[in-house]
Amino acid sequence: MDSRVQLQQLSMSFGDFTAVHPLDLDIRSGEFFSFLGPSGCGKTTLLNIISGFLTPTSGTVTIGGEPMASVPANKRPTSMIFQNLALFPLMTVAENIEFGLEVRGISKPERRKVSDRLLELVDLTGSGDKRIDDLSGGQKQRVAIARALAVEPRVLLLDEPLSALDLKLRQHMRSELKEIQRRTEITFIYITHDQGEALTMSDRVAVMSAGRLQQVDEPMTLYQNPATPFVAEFVGENNRIAGEVVGNDNGRVQIKHPSLGVLEGISTEAMAPGTACSLYVRPERLRLVGEDASPVNRLQARLDVVNFEGAFLMLESSIEGLSDPLKIQTEHSTMPASLTKDHPVSLVFDPADALVMPESAAEGGGHAQGLD
Amino acid sequence: MLKALTDRFGLPVSVTILLLLWFWLIVLVILPQLIMIDYSFRPNLLPAQMGGPEDGYTIGNYQTLANNDIHRTIFFKTIWSSILVTFLTLVVCYPVAYFLAQLASTRQAMLIALLLVIPYWINEILRTFAWYLILAFQGPLNAVLLGLGFIDRPIRFLSGDSGVLIGMVYAYLLFMVFPLYNALESLDPNQVRAARNLGAGTIRTHWRIIIPHAKPGIATGCIMTFMLAAGSYAVPALLGSPGSRWFTQIIYNWFFEGGDWHMGAAYAFVLLILCIGFIALVMKVFKIGLGDIGR
Ligand SMILES: Nc1ncnc2c1ncn2[C@@H]1O[C@H](COP(=O)(O)OP(=O)(O)O)[C@@H](O)[C@H]1O
Ligand SMILES: [Mg+2]
Repeated sequence: MDSRVQLQQLSMSFGDFTAVHPLDLDIRSGEFFSFLGPSGCGKTTLLNIISGFLTPTSGTVTIGGEPMASVPANKRPTSMIFQNLALFPLMTVAENIEFGLEVRGISKPERRKVSDRLLELVDLTGSGDKRIDDLSGGQKQRVAIARALAVEPRVLLLDEPLSALDLKLRQHMRSELKEIQRRTEITFIYITHDQGEALTMSDRVAVMSAGRLQQVDEPMTLYQNPATPFVAEFVGENNRIAGEVVGNDNGRVQIKHPSLGVLEGISTEAMAPGTACSLYVRPERLRLVGEDASPVNRLQARLDVVNFEGAFLMLESSIEGLSDPLKIQTEHSTMPASLTKDHPVSLVFDPADALVMPESAAEGGGHAQGLD
Repeated sequence: MLKALTDRFGLPVSVTILLLLWFWLIVLVILPQLIMIDYSFRPNLLPAQMGGPEDGYTIGNYQTLANNDIHRTIFFKTIWSSILVTFLTLVVCYPVAYFLAQLASTRQAMLIALLLVIPYWINEILRTFAWYLILAFQGPLNAVLLGLGFIDRPIRFLSGDSGVLIGMVYAYLLFMVFPLYNALESLDPNQVRAARNLGAGTIRTHWRIIIPHAKPGIATGCIMTFMLAAGSYAVPALLGSPGSRWFTQIIYNWFFEGGDWHMGAAYAFVLLILCIGFIALVMKVFKIGLGDIGR
């Protein structure tokens, strides 16, 4: 089954407003592919174009090699799980699941077989005769999945399907979705503003901001090698120190911050001295050290907050001249007992763990902080 | 409820409101109906016979209706025609209401709503009379149809039932459009998309998703239209012919031409029972309760 989804020069405008800027994307057959971005960045619009509810302003959608331009929404090999589920409240659970088969003229006993099998798949055996309103949030969620799978789509489109569930259920459903995807070999296109969801489930993630693709990569690559400042700030926690380039040799970049002095990081692109730039270092790469540690990339800060996160501690410390507090992730064992709030601390980070990017790379996106 | 009322308006105002309400209900609605029922079971007597041996309860008035072929036929024809009017109004109004509720932009919706409502600022008699002019043998409708070549000689719209049907559908349009609109407006557009996404075409989406959702609105609209149609006097009087007489016209005749209020009361009571029966039937068919209609 070829269920590749190709988007070519796809864009969407509503009047003067461009919700999706022209983009190209090739989603592989059977892949779990996510679009990740803050609310309003155009994710739902993109999904509506793929499913045929919206006609793109330009560009084409191709599914399994077939161009979709002339295929109406009700004939496309896609199935959608809506943000609000959109289950049919006047039908029973089984009737909901069987609706797509009823449309295709499949006989009642055959339909019943399919819905029984799917109810088993989503762990709701025997609930076929229940009313939709009598189900819990998580159960409704699973009925929506079963209803979408019943028509045997080549592509399953999921629009933030877990956002209404509580944390425990969300984590449970994540692994269930992943499991269903593995078993069915359907291409999953998953939309979310929750990076945790995107990173844990996806084979690849497209990070979007203001209608533009920022980066398309595997979750690990997104985290370790963000391509733009937007991705660096939106995916995972990050500390940002703004400065300007003062030195540059062999991928090593020295930047100067007005009050912190010279810091060193790595960069994939050559930047001329004087370029405005940001240095990003992850909280788990900042280390607490004693007075005698190496003077390279050493910061003097004051401890403000100690957050207990279970497996680790998340510290927040302020540095004069830096507007946002630095976040430091540390183990319980490496945390000196004497260290408490308002204590001065010394921090260092390895230059290889610090990514320097020019400010201008934040094309259209801006900084993720404060969004969503 | 009483507490909510007193909290909001204070005791004296609340009591006044309730007293007025009860006065209206008992003195102006229930009592006249009871008097009418009482009338309908008494014979029409000369003043001299009152208090005499014939002055008692009888079902003679109802027997007259049952035995009079012409009146009986008109009674059943009124029921049938009212059902037809109701159905036609539903067919005409459903697309309009659906467009208004789900597809139209705010501007379009305002424009259509205005176009629907403006004619109702004019008195019903005048509106109906406008149709009399439009449908006349030498009127504009025939002229247009002739001009476009759809017909080769004018149609006598006003001699059969068609004039009455057209006039009534038009007269009661709003009573169907607004309940339908109310019901359709509350439909989540994603329901329609979900049905389409699962492969359903337009007709199936309406039949399985949209119409079931709009059921309370459809029932309310049908009940109102039927009651208004069955009880209509002006439209059949103006647009009807002798062959399309309405039951209300016969009731009118008993009261004001025959001078027999007792007979008129009996006929009117039968019509009332019919309307109540129709409501009960519609509610049963649509499986809805009284509470759904009020919405
Ligand atoms: N039908 C529409 N008309 C005008 N603007 C729209 C329409 N649909 C979406 N938008 C706008 O497009 C942008 C992207 O919307 P959407 O795709 O729903 O974002 P997301 O799903 O990422 O939160 C938003 O700014 C939204 O206001
Ligand atoms: Mg959305």
